[in-house]
Amino acid sequence: MNRLDPRVRVLWVGRAVVTAVVVGVVAAVATLLVDAIPWWTPVVVALLALVVGVSVALARYRLWRYEVRDDALYLERGVFTRVRTVVPFVRIQHVDSSRGPLERLVGLASTVVYTAGSRGADVTIPGLTPGGADDLRERLKRLAIRAEGEDAV
Amino acid sequence: MRRALSPRSIPYRVVERGGGLLVTAFFLFSSASAILGPRGELVALVLAGLAGCLLVGYEVAYHRRFAYALTGDTLDIQSGVIARRSREIPIKRVQNVDISRNIVQRLLGIAVVDFETAGGSETEATLRCVSFEEAKRLQREVRRLKAGEADEESADAETATAADDETELFALARRELALVGALSFDLRIPGLLFVFLTGGVPVLSSVLPSGSQLPVVVAGLVAAVVVALVSWLAGATVAVLNYYDFRLSRVGDELQYERGLLRRYDGSIPLDKVQTLTITDDPLKRYFGYASLRIGTAGYAPGAGESGSEAAIPLANRDRVFALANRIEPFGSPSFERPPKRVRRRYTLRYLVALGLVTGVLHGASLVFGWPFPWPTVTPLVLAPLAPVAAHLSWRHRGVWLGDHHVVTRNGFFRRRITVVPYYRIQTVIDSRTVFQRRWGVATVTADTAGSASFVSRGAAAVDVDVATAETLRDVLETRFRTALAARRGWGDDDEDGAAPSTDD
Repeated sequence: MNRLDPRVRVLWVGRAVVTAVVVGVVAAVATLLVDAIPWWTPVVVALLALVVGVSVALARYRLWRYEVRDDALYLERGVFTRVRTVVPFVRIQHVDSSRGPLERLVGLASTVVYTAGSRGADVTIPGLTPGGADDLRERLKRLAIRAEGEDAV
Repeated sequence: MRRALSPRSIPYRVVERGGGLLVTAFFLFSSASAILGPRGELVALVLAGLAGCLLVGYEVAYHRRFAYALTGDTLDIQSGVIARRSREIPIKRVQNVDISRNIVQRLLGIAVVDFETAGGSETEATLRCVSFEEAKRLQREVRRLKAGEADEESADAETATAADDETELFALARRELALVGALSFDLRIPGLLFVFLTGGVPVLSSVLPSGSQLPVVVAGLVAAVVVALVSWLAGATVAVLNYYDFRLSRVGDELQYERGLLRRYDGSIPLDKVQTLTITDDPLKRYFGYASLRIGTAGYAPGAGESGSEAAIPLANRDRVFALANRIEPFGSPSFERPPKRVRRRYTLRYLVALGLVTGVLHGASLVFGWPFPWPTVTPLVLAPLAPVAAHLSWRHRGVWLGDHHVVTRNGFFRRRITVVPYYRIQTVIDSRTVFQRRWGVATVTADTAGSASFVSRGAAAVDVDVATAETLRDVLETRFRTALAARRGWGDDDEDGAAPSTDD
């Protein structure tokens, strides 16, 4: 079972911090508008959001696992709802590797696996090194082609 | 061989397009005669006549310039009066050939033919209009060509006879149609009428003698009855119009259906595109021994546009529905394994919490907005003793069964769905456990299939099975998917199969 790159924690914790700040600002505006709300509310709300967000981000990293098996890609993830997904290689339609702006900032990349399933592009593996994401993409592509290649026989 | 549209399509198209023109002409005529007097009338008449001639000319030209041909492996269409367009659609890519005829077209003996291809969300090509016989010929020919494509080795004549072998699977009897109508309840209408009628309540209450609360309550009751009646009537009308003289037959590798009273549809569903079968019923249908069947295909749900549902068999005897479903996908008769009994306690708790939340919200709202009714706000709590009953019913109607070639799941009490998914149709296997499910040691295993992400056909979900069962289920589904796919694609028997563990523990 592979784990994600530890640096993905930076990304997720960073996101949690941004969310906490936004929540804090909203709470601050509400405090300014409504007199009944005590002055320390925004601080408490922001801190709460920060603690929850950061612990969820860390838990998410701790629980994320993926594995390239003989004939399927296996993923395990989720903090509140634990989800395990089995994607047979035959079912892979195409594979992308992508790097968002924030991901580039911390030097990470993701691989996205598309199937024809009704939950479509649900299968994203975040927190890979750029080389790792490309390798995984190539590997999955080869495996998918090999699995599908037997089709022609 | 190049063919043209039916000559009878010219007058039809002229009338279809000319309707708007006529209205414009009328306004022009009346306004012109008002402003310019008799001379204006003349000018307007001439203008209208000119426009009419232009329209007729255009439609004649359209007819003359439109040509289509079925070659061995493509459908070629050349069209366009001013901008020319020429298309070649590979027959192999054509999924459905749908024919529809409204009442005027039926009188003229012409039909609209739609060619649907996989993937596209819209119709690939439309012929407006050809004679009905020609439409049927196209449908038949495309099927024959596709069958030939799929099996090139066999002799042409052989495939032709095999492909044209038609067996009727189902025909909706009059009595059943009446039942479909009676059991259809259009849920969109209550919402509309509610908005409409609540607008009328202040008027009513101002007319009625004020003083007691009684008139408002009575008016509300009357309104509710009216709403129910109207929605029921509307639902019944739509259902009867949609499913009048419904027939489903199997022709070679396709299912063909015909339905409709005013507008008649002739469509086809290729069997190798069928992803899931869903048998639905509700307490009423169960009591009378009826059920409906939906056939889910990838990307395209027949009749989705017009009827708002992909029901293949609107209503039939339960045994007949199962027999029919078995002819499409032979899955046998499932013996479901229910979730562990402890989930009943979970559901009881869930319903109680939901009830408590509703009561809380009601009470909160009554504190803010006031409470117009004579009974106290905590009245919903009298439903609490029903929670265990509801929980038991929910539990009773859940289940999963692993057949030799299919996984079948069952969910829901009010709208019970039995979903049949062939193993080789599985796309991904998903095992998910929410916080609450983990506390009870249960999990949901979903066998996802390709297809329209509609609410009903999202693959088969075994909800709230024991975690140990979930683990086996996941493995079994994956293994059987592989062997089934290998068998279907003829990869040989190098996969050792059969060793899949059973789940009856």
